[in-house]
Amino acid sequence: MPSFKKSRPGRFLLHRLGNEKWQWISIPLLSVVLAVLTGSGVILLMGKSPVDTYIGILQGAGMLPKANYAGGTNMLTDFMSFLDAMAPMLLAALGVTVAFKAGLFNIGISGQMLFGGFLATILVGYSDLGGLVAKPLVLLIAGASGALVGGFIGLMKYRYNINEVVSSIMVNYILAYFISFFIKTHYINPVSRQSEYINAAASLTFKGVALGGVKVNVPLGILLALMAALVVHYLINKTRLGYEIKAVGANRKGAGYAGIPIGRTMVTAMMISGGLGGLAGATYYLGYFASIQPGVLSDLGFNAIATSLLGNNSPLGVILSSILITILDKGATFMSSKVGVVKEISGVITSLILLFSAMGAYFRYLIAKKQEDVKSENREEMGE
Amino acid sequence: MIEIILYDGLAFALPLLIIAIGGIFSERSGIINLALEGLLGFGAFTGAFMVVMADHFLPGSQPYGIYIGMAFAMVGGGLFAMIHGLLTVYYRANQVISGVVINILSMSLTAFLTRQLNAIIFNAASNRFQLGVADRFTLPLLSEIPVLGAVFTKVYPFQVVILLVALLAYLVFEKTPFGIHLKASGDNPHAVEAAGVDVKRVRFAAVMISGALAGLGGISFAYSISANFNPMIYMGYGYLAIAALIFGNWQIGNTLLAVLFFGFARSAGYELAKALEMSSTFNDIIMTLPYMLTLLILIFFSKQNAAPRALGEIYDKGKR
Repeated sequence: MPSFKKSRPGRFLLHRLGNEKWQWISIPLLSVVLAVLTGSGVILLMGKSPVDTYIGILQGAGMLPKANYAGGTNMLTDFMSFLDAMAPMLLAALGVTVAFKAGLFNIGISGQMLFGGFLATILVGYSDLGGLVAKPLVLLIAGASGALVGGFIGLMKYRYNINEVVSSIMVNYILAYFISFFIKTHYINPVSRQSEYINAAASLTFKGVALGGVKVNVPLGILLALMAALVVHYLINKTRLGYEIKAVGANRKGAGYAGIPIGRTMVTAMMISGGLGGLAGATYYLGYFASIQPGVLSDLGFNAIATSLLGNNSPLGVILSSILITILDKGATFMSSKVGVVKEISGVITSLILLFSAMGAYFRYLIAKKQEDVKSENREEMGE
Repeated sequence: MIEIILYDGLAFALPLLIIAIGGIFSERSGIINLALEGLLGFGAFTGAFMVVMADHFLPGSQPYGIYIGMAFAMVGGGLFAMIHGLLTVYYRANQVISGVVINILSMSLTAFLTRQLNAIIFNAASNRFQLGVADRFTLPLLSEIPVLGAVFTKVYPFQVVILLVALLAYLVFEKTPFGIHLKASGDNPHAVEAAGVDVKRVRFAAVMISGALAGLGGISFAYSISANFNPMIYMGYGYLAIAALIFGNWQIGNTLLAVLFFGFARSAGYELAKALEMSSTFNDIIMTLPYMLTLLILIFFSKQNAAPRALGEIYDKGKR
């Protein structure tokens, strides 16, 4: 494409994207821009306004003020609710990230969330324990049970060479159906068709707190999630285990020759990943919500893959991307009622981001190739 | 009871077979295809949408609905598979990631389009396309045979189509130059290139075929399981098909045995529950059967199988 190389904006874009120091942010931004543009095309095809749609989404997520609010709420209510929703997303995406670092694809986060959330619900959520005991216990149980599931998948991969994507999906459905069975036979609320609500002491979100004259939900989960991001960052970049995980992820055989125990590292990485999934489940089912819908795997576990890829699989990058993906997810319902585009558009834009992020390697390859072309062209020009 | 197990088992096994054959086409050409789940879903969506459209705008098309559905499911699945083909064959994306991306894209896109198209075209707030009931037919004489007659009892029209397409796919795979090139591309792409065949084009075509076959399986599930298209089509059956083809060692014949095993185990589970007079709450437990079996089968068969040698590698002409 000679026109691209010669044109001014082309060179400008190439210069911007070609700077490798900034590619960690410029390539994800390119993915987001492409996804937003493609999404706009879809919205236009449906005869609606993309601008109104995106503004509606931002308003619904508490990022922009709405025209009017229900009594006792304002933008802070929406924003705190956004933070409440972001906590499980960030934790789940961190889980995906840790597995990715070990070269594994944990698509079983939904199942790990459900298992952790379910066990914490029945063991602690329905007990009479006080908040100071109950809340840490919820995290402990959910994290441990998630780690168990993750470790099992890692073991199947290492021991029996079973593709972890296939086994995670099988485990997801097995867990979903079994838990559905137990909820329907033991814990169902006949009116809501969901599990009975948990006691407030076990909830990780303080519901309906009066703050500045309005009622808001205060999520503890977001603090936990941000702390987890720092811990994972430290673990991956500063510890021996992190180094081993990255080595196994980059080149399994090579790591083996270097004396790194491949099996143990893979299982450990999957346990950490699953544990983060379990914690995500705690903040989701015992924080953002207070009950479980039987037989349903949360979309969040899948959107977390988009979040992780968009965040370049870096724990700190994932903080930024989980803000964006949560906005899309959280703002959709309000936007739908206001603009009339069905709320499923959020999922479409999220998966488009995922699609373009998956092409990130290709973008890098293209940019590097184009730069080579430009360089050789410059050399020719100077030679004349 | 044996009869019910046989014909219900077949109604589940055959769609799974055609999806698995799709997977074999892609994987034997060297492209990992975890996208089967998304491809069967998007195919089923396209087919179901065309059935509903035909029903709405072409009154009298009703009896042919299932054939319209099958034809367009193959078209839709094949076209959607082009994304996987572009990403993996031409854009050097990781094949596992690309597959999962396609699945998530398919789920969200069909959920969005079903709701939005229902609202725009039919003025209905619904997340499903209602399909007509596919009439099951029973062959008069053959079905009288004891036990085996069940094979010819309560047959869905799609089962016949699937058998024909599967036979055709088998012939293409085993007897044509394209089939030979395809298999060679998965084992030794450089030799294929040296023989003057475009490896990338062969792989791209294989991925598209896998999409078309998965689409056919998807619309069949939509007809047999729920008689409509809705988000419940994503039940992990694409992944079951992958397990079946691993179990079948990437051979069409062995994979047939694997899906029959899945199908009969599933229908036998339901019949067992009925015979023991268990309440319907136990359906949840029975539903886990295919997934549990898959895990067990994978545990026993994953170690010794022989995957295509170049499976999952990005093909680069310069690299040797």
